[in-house]
Order: sequence, then C-alpha cells, then structure tokens
Amino acid sequence: MATNPFKITLLISILSIAIALTLIWGTAQTAPNLIHYSTLSNDPYIKVESINVTANGVYIRLAVINNGALAFTPTGGWVEVVETGQVVNVTVINGTVIAKLPLTPKWVGLASVGVKGIVSGALNGSRAYIAFFDVAPIHIINTIGIADVSYADCILNVTLSVNTVVPVVIGPIINMSLFTVSTPGYYVFETIGIVNTTVYAPAGSHNVTLTIRVSPALGRYTYVYSCNYFSGFSKYTLWLPIGVTYMYPTGNVTSYTLLTKTFVVGGGS
Amino acid sequence: MRIEALLQFALAIAFIVLWVFMPTWLMSGVNYSISLTPWGYVVRFFGETYVIPPPTVYAVWIFAIGAGLTPLVWRRSRYSLYLAVLFSVLSISMLMDTILFQQRYLQFHGYTIAPTPTGYIYVSLPTRPVLGLPTYILLALTILSIFNMVTRARWLGTRVIEDPIVAVERVLKALHIEYSRIESGVEVGGIKIIRQGSSLRLVRGSEAIEVDLKTAIIETIKAGLKQPVSVGVVDYGED
Repeated sequence: MATNPFKITLLISILSIAIALTLIWGTAQTAPNLIHYSTLSNDPYIKVESINVTANGVYIRLAVINNGALAFTPTGGWVEVVETGQVVNVTVINGTVIAKLPLTPKWVGLASVGVKGIVSGALNGSRAYIAFFDVAPIHIINTIGIADVSYADCILNVTLSVNTVVPVVIGPIINMSLFTVSTPGYYVFETIGIVNTTVYAPAGSHNVTLTIRVSPALGRYTYVYSCNYFSGFSKYTLWLPIGVTYMYPTGNVTSYTLLTKTFVVGGGS
Repeated sequence: MRIEALLQFALAIAFIVLWVFMPTWLMSGVNYSISLTPWGYVVRFFGETYVIPPPTVYAVWIFAIGAGLTPLVWRRSRYSLYLAVLFSVLSISMLMDTILFQQRYLQFHGYTIAPTPTGYIYVSLPTRPVLGLPTYILLALTILSIFNMVTRARWLGTRVIEDPIVAVERVLKALHIEYSRIESGVEVGGIKIIRQGSSLRLVRGSEAIEVDLKTAIIETIKAGLKQPVSVGVVDYGED
C-alpha cells in the first residue's frame, strides 16, 4: 500500500484535535442558552396567626403556610416585635410555632404590631430558614371568673380570679341570685336591680373578694329566703351578672358579663 | 488479533455501557444534585429534573470508542496504537472540559434563596462532588492504550513455542516469505521441513537429512529469499 501510516495518523490527529477544540469553543459559546435557571415556586412562608395579650404575657403564634409539594418543618427561630423592641426565641410545640414575650405597659396602648424574625427548620429534608415580616392585630384577653363562693349569715363572699392586662373595677352587680340545683329549684336569695358593690383589681393575675350583705337594705326588690344554705340541699348555683370597667390608657371601657358558679357545700351531694 | 488490543476495546465498551447506568461525575445532595450522563448533565432540583447537554459530552464517548476500535480496525501499523492513545487522551480531556463546564456554568454555592409573601426563604443545599466508576475505567483505558503503544501491544509476553514448526513459520511470517503448510511441516521453495517426533528433517528432492531448529530456519530463509517477496500482514509490525 502506498499510503504512509504516519501521514494518515497525522491527518486524523490534527482533525480530531480540531474537532475537540471546536467543541470546547462551541460549548462555551452555547452555554448561556443551554443552562436553565430555576427557583423555588410555591415555597412555604410564615404568617403571624395571632397575637394574644394576656396578664401572663404576650403570645405570638406563627403559622407555617405550606402551599404546594414543599413541606417545611419548623424547629426553632426567633421573633422581634418592632414596636416594643422585644426579641425572644420561639418554641415549637407539635408543629406550632409560639413565641412568649413578657407583658410590658406599652402593649396595652397598641392596636397592631409588626413582627419580624427567622424560623429555622427543614424543607423536604434540607436545612432552611424563613425570614418574615408581618403586621398583625393584637387581641387583648382579660378573664374574670369566680374562684370560690361562700354564704353564711346573709353574707355572700365571692372570690374572683382576675387575669387582666389593665387595672379593672369590678361592679356593680345587676340581678344576682343563688338557687339550689334541684328539681324543683329553690331560691336562697334573689335581687332585682343594681347592687353598687365594687372592687378594684390591679393589672395582672390576682384574686379579689366581693363581700355583699344580702338584705332588703340592698334594694326594694331583694328577696332573701334564707340567711344560710338550706339543709338537705348541697348543690347551688350563683348567678352573678356584673359590670367590669377596664382602665385602658386610652380611656375606660365598661362591659357587662355573666359570671356563674355551681358549687357543692358540706359533704355529700 | 492481539488480546492486548481486544482488552483495550473491551475497556472502551465497558466505559460506555457502564456510563449509561451510572454517572462519571456527580454532585450529590438531598434536594439538589447534578449527574453527568452520556447525554448531558441531569440536574435534579426539588423533584424537578432538567437535562443540560453540553456538546463536549458526546465527544467523550465518541473518542472513547475510537480509542478502543482503532487498534482493531487498523492493524497494519503501530501508528494505530498512537492514534488510540490520542483518542483516549482526547476523551479524558473532553470529560474534564465537561466537568469544567459544570464548574463554570452550573456553578452552585450550596443554597437557594426565594421570595415569599412575607419575606424570603433560604434553603441550604450542600452537595458533595463524586467521581463515578466509569471515570476510573476511562482512566484505565488511557493507561492501557499508552502501555499498548509502548509495548506495541505485546506485553502479555511471547508464548514459549513448543512446536519447532511453529517457530519456523513465525520467522517466515516475519520476513514475509511465502510458504505452504504441509502435513506436519512447511514447504518453502523446493525444500520441506518435516517434524518427526522430537526431531526435524530437511527434505530437498529425494534427499532427507536430520537438522536442528537453527539450521532448519536458516535453510528455509535461504530457500524463501530465492522466491519473489510478497507482502504479508504482521500486526503492528511496520514503523
């Protein structure tokens, strides 16, 4: 054969090296069109679900909104309330993210606050952080309940447990009654009209006692059937419709609420 | 066909077949991964899959086939072994260039940030680079082709020739002397070398004498050179 193997090899070598170089160059040229940019869509985010201001503290509940296939599992994080400057770590209880802040006087005068922070966790198994800022209205939660009742010698002692954000004035009482829980029921006493007994409770968690002498002196329509519990009846119910005046910095707000308590006296039922 | 060259071809085929099933290069991660397949980069991102085909990736396996096939197709000259080395080196170069493409254009910092209605989400996506098994086979192919080039594909060693007739035949083949096989021997020109048991007999016309292997080879060459020399085929024999 006349062909020189060296020449053939040289020719093929040059050709293949040229192809290789062309491909490298061509790849670099076409790279911007080849690559594909993608970002997360329908990614989970954080919303402030509720802000409850109670006498025990401020509870901020954060909701993780998973819309789509991506699931975010929170494990920790922190929040800052912009208006008060408070910064606390959140706690995660069964997937619910809650931050508890101490109650400061500033909270009472606010209607809504901005909450910012970061919640850390896992997104489909990858470590992820969600930074958020959200404005949410404040719910001020005041609770007043009857803790204990005693009635003897026409004197009614009602212990009220008061959990309020602001100082309150409890009273007056309108149309209260004490009756037996039985069929038929019997009134121990009943008042028709306003009993002007008030008691003051400061902000926070306290027990206050209302002491009322139940007698016709309270008003024209006060009916007292007994100055003590009936013998033979041990289960009673106290109806106590009462006015509560909340002393907010912006002004006093009075609302009426019905407090009831069913209780058992002595032994047995 | 030399076993050494077949081995080189087998490695090339093994590389390509294996590559179909496992990547040569991989950035492994939980929700984000990049793997290099014969048809391009397969990028997985939170359940979505994209194929990015850089043209150099096709050259990787085309050159690898060339490196395996050239010594089988072109057996006359040792230059085919040189060419196979060039192809295997080009194949590795193309693979490296494809990996560089990932480093340059599919660069990934290990996290992604996306806006949300109330802020941003930052997702950490750590990845670990892994060289796959096919890459090591390609490396072995290159090393073998270089070794074959250096040894002219003869590193498996010359077999010990037990049959003296085969030894005579080899010499004749190497010198491109035409001969014909006869029963238990060879015939060159007017002479025959016949094996009888463990000894060789030189038959010239009606005369027959007992010779040793050295004499037998010299006599056959003498007889062979008297006839026109034709071109025979010796694997990778030419310069």
